[in-house]
Amino acid sequence: MDLNQYKADIDKCKNLKELQILKIKYLGRNGLINTMFQNIKKVPVNQKKEYGQKINLIKKEIEKKIKEKQNELDKNRLIKFFDPTLPGKIYPKGSFHPLTYVIEEIVNIFQKIGFVRVSYPEVEWEYFSFEALNMPKGHPARDDFETFFIDFPESKKYGKMVLSPHTSSGQNREMRRTKPPIRMINIAKTYRPNWDTTHTPMFHQFEGLCIDKGINITHLKGTIDYFVKEFFGKERTIRLRPAHFQFTEPSFEIDVSCGVCGGKGEVNEKKCRVCKSGWLELAGAGMVHPNVLKMGGIDPNVYTGWAFGFGPERCMMMREEMKIEDIRILYSGEIRFLEQF
Amino acid sequence: MNIKLTYNWILDFLETDANPFEIQKYLSLAGPSIERVEKFEDDYVFDIEIISNRIDTASAFGIVQEASAILPFFGKKVKIKNNPFETFKFSRIQKLKLTTDYKLNVLIKENDLCSRFTAIVLDNIEIKPSPDFIQKRLKAAGIKVINNVVDISNYLMLTLGQPTHTFDFDRIANVDKKSATMIMRAAKKGEKIFTLDGNEVKLPGSDIVIEDGKGRLIDLCGIIGGENSCVTEKTKTIILFVQTYNKQKIRKTTMTTGVRTLAASYFEKGLDEERVETALVFGVKLLEKYASAKIASQIYDFYQTPYQKKEVKTTFSFFEKIMGVKISKKTILQILNSLGFKTKVDNEKIKVLVPHFRKYDINIPEDLIEEVARIYGYNNLPNNFSPPAKILQPKEFEKVFQIIFKIKHFLKHLGLNEVINYSMISKKMIEEWGLEKDNPFKIKNSISKEIEYLRTSLLPSLYKNIKDNEGKKDVFKFFEIAKVYLPRPNDLPIEEYRLAVAVNTDFFDLKGILEALFLELNIDAFELPKIIKKNNVFLTEINLSFLIENYKLLPKFKQINPYAVIKLDKTFTLSKNLTFAKIKEKSFQSSYLDKIEVLSLFKNNLTLRFYYSAKDRNLTEEEAKKELKKV
Repeated sequence: MDLNQYKADIDKCKNLKELQILKIKYLGRNGLINTMFQNIKKVPVNQKKEYGQKINLIKKEIEKKIKEKQNELDKNRLIKFFDPTLPGKIYPKGSFHPLTYVIEEIVNIFQKIGFVRVSYPEVEWEYFSFEALNMPKGHPARDDFETFFIDFPESKKYGKMVLSPHTSSGQNREMRRTKPPIRMINIAKTYRPNWDTTHTPMFHQFEGLCIDKGINITHLKGTIDYFVKEFFGKERTIRLRPAHFQFTEPSFEIDVSCGVCGGKGEVNEKKCRVCKSGWLELAGAGMVHPNVLKMGGIDPNVYTGWAFGFGPERCMMMREEMKIEDIRILYSGEIRFLEQF
Repeated sequence: MNIKLTYNWILDFLETDANPFEIQKYLSLAGPSIERVEKFEDDYVFDIEIISNRIDTASAFGIVQEASAILPFFGKKVKIKNNPFETFKFSRIQKLKLTTDYKLNVLIKENDLCSRFTAIVLDNIEIKPSPDFIQKRLKAAGIKVINNVVDISNYLMLTLGQPTHTFDFDRIANVDKKSATMIMRAAKKGEKIFTLDGNEVKLPGSDIVIEDGKGRLIDLCGIIGGENSCVTEKTKTIILFVQTYNKQKIRKTTMTTGVRTLAASYFEKGLDEERVETALVFGVKLLEKYASAKIASQIYDFYQTPYQKKEVKTTFSFFEKIMGVKISKKTILQILNSLGFKTKVDNEKIKVLVPHFRKYDINIPEDLIEEVARIYGYNNLPNNFSPPAKILQPKEFEKVFQIIFKIKHFLKHLGLNEVINYSMISKKMIEEWGLEKDNPFKIKNSISKEIEYLRTSLLPSLYKNIKDNEGKKDVFKFFEIAKVYLPRPNDLPIEEYRLAVAVNTDFFDLKGILEALFLELNIDAFELPKIIKKNNVFLTEINLSFLIENYKLLPKFKQINPYAVIKLDKTFTLSKNLTFAKIKEKSFQSSYLDKIEVLSLFKNNLTLRFYYSAKDRNLTEEEAKKELKKV
């Protein structure tokens, strides 16, 4: 072994890690110095003392040299430029499906005013989807181009099995489960046979139902106005327009003022591209039809109620952040979409 | 359904000081929504959305009726003029001395096809372009201009809301040239008709059609006329044909054949039979004026059940009960009367007589509330919260939503991506995953092979998610929480919430995710769910009810041990006979062992760290070593 090799080795060292390796090479348990000490056995007795001293000397020199180098490297390290603008350590970032945020937000908003969330069948009998909602046989919504039917024997009592085309089927289920007062929200998957840039065969619906003594239109209006201001912002307003649904009377379409043009219908004297003359359609709603109450075993002379149905997807896409051109991306599993949320 | 009409068209029947934009704003709030107003030459076009049970408003005169009730509430003056219901009565054309040269042999084979059938023959027809104002209005309405006879037919539809049709009499006449036969019947399945737009339509069966007595179909009623009977440039004599049909039959035919016409969207909503008379007479008047028509037959009118007076009873207080504000009796009556309802008051009670054009949509007192509330103005009602009530969420719902919330948040923060897939999958996926054994539900009327069966497992979708995304990134970690639908006999399926996780990394990555999740939910003493490997993907699926049952809000607190903990490391060479599970089992036979940690695994050499302590004193290193030796 060339005993002077260590000097060159240590001089070449560029960082503490390399120095640590050298330290082990020379001074480690199985390092060169220890090996040399072990070799003392083979050295003739009269030379043993001199040999030992010599090795001790070298060991000290190496230790000294390493110490010096370490100080030098430490010093270099300390004066190295510290850049606090570098990014921090990377932690894993997963994502929710964007609808998860919307649904959590909706639930929170309604929980604060005493509504509880329930869950009812998504594969349902015709009876709950239609009859119980005042839609007798022959009603257009029951056509097989409006509803998915399951290949299953018909029930004598409840008719055919369907994929629930709306969450309103939960209205009768809720009335069967509990007597008034009712304050219910139901968010679930719903299904209809449409598949294009603005429709998916599976989507979500969000149903609200309130039944009690003395419930009137002002309660429905107040609740929806509260929701819109919480979800879209204080500056947004609603309007109710006449509409027709079999299971409510009177029935309304609910519009929310457009966030892009501020409800004016135009931006810089050009027609707003987002809305219809300043308004966006948000939901259908109305006072629960007396036939629907009756079929739920509730006396319409004693109780009245309101109901509404929203699309969480639509609510989501009406927010500023979410301008989605093709709704099908929501259920595509596309990672470059999902990981953004 | 949307229709387009112009401002001037409406002014034919209405005197008002409201401009087009005021009409848009006020009608949208209280009646049919006018989605857009656009300038069209020297006129304005309204794009109007018709409320589905208010087909009576789908015309210039229908809009006028609404406007005359709504506009006064916004301080606008209105007066209806040229009311066609009053102007155009059969008596107006019957009074004339008729040349009854032509005859129709009408046979209606079934009772449920047509609630009113009217027709009249007109001759001396001169085919030419229709007058400018009709052409302009039709263009504004988005309807193709053809000739005076066809244009008048379309113009009638949009003016009165009643579609009409014209046949060329000579093209369907019997050999005597003076009579024609019209047999209205239900079509047989598979019968064919050539329609006037040049297409052949194969009929699904029980559609309403007209046959000419010689076996030829000449009309697909309510939807589109036949090519063999339509008006041409040479037409001299026509039949003006106005009816109302069974709405269900019309809807079924138009939807199954895919032949969608504006006429069909009127008829499928059910039309007012009284208006048939108005449309026929107005039609004759227009054809006389703009096509030099002369009446050449009697009026044929088959009217099964003429309109009977319809009454709805309610009370004044009911309006306040549902609207939530007090409305004066005077206002209630004023609104109802302005909409064409006649009212009789007896103290608190009101009897309301429903006009013929509202007979199908006004049935119960709630319908009258809607009429009064919308004209009074929904926006004039205050916003109130529903009164407070003590409502408890059923525990079973609360638990499901709570655990879903916890799991989603936890997995997201571990770096997983949540996905929502369709509940329906393809037959191919069912077979690939051997799900036939679950007898998954088949959708009878699916619209794509991709979504034909209901999922009984979430795994096929998640596997597909990873495969579809390959190449876009290196590492994928997906999860989904959703219901699967498990069929059972004679009942709705069991809807079971499941959690599924799929990764393309390795077995221990997925195992680690599961262990961390169980720890997060404070589920101890568990057996981990099975992990499946398919190609390079590792997957697992858990019934959520298992997690709900075993979930704890808080873990069990263990007393902190104040005595020394001895840490010892030892390396084992793993083999079939010496697995980690066996080492673990054996080492925990010692009552001093707190836990084991894996330090490293290199090839089959596993280095473990053992933590020993006693509960009542300081354990010595010697004692700990003795314990470890037993392993």
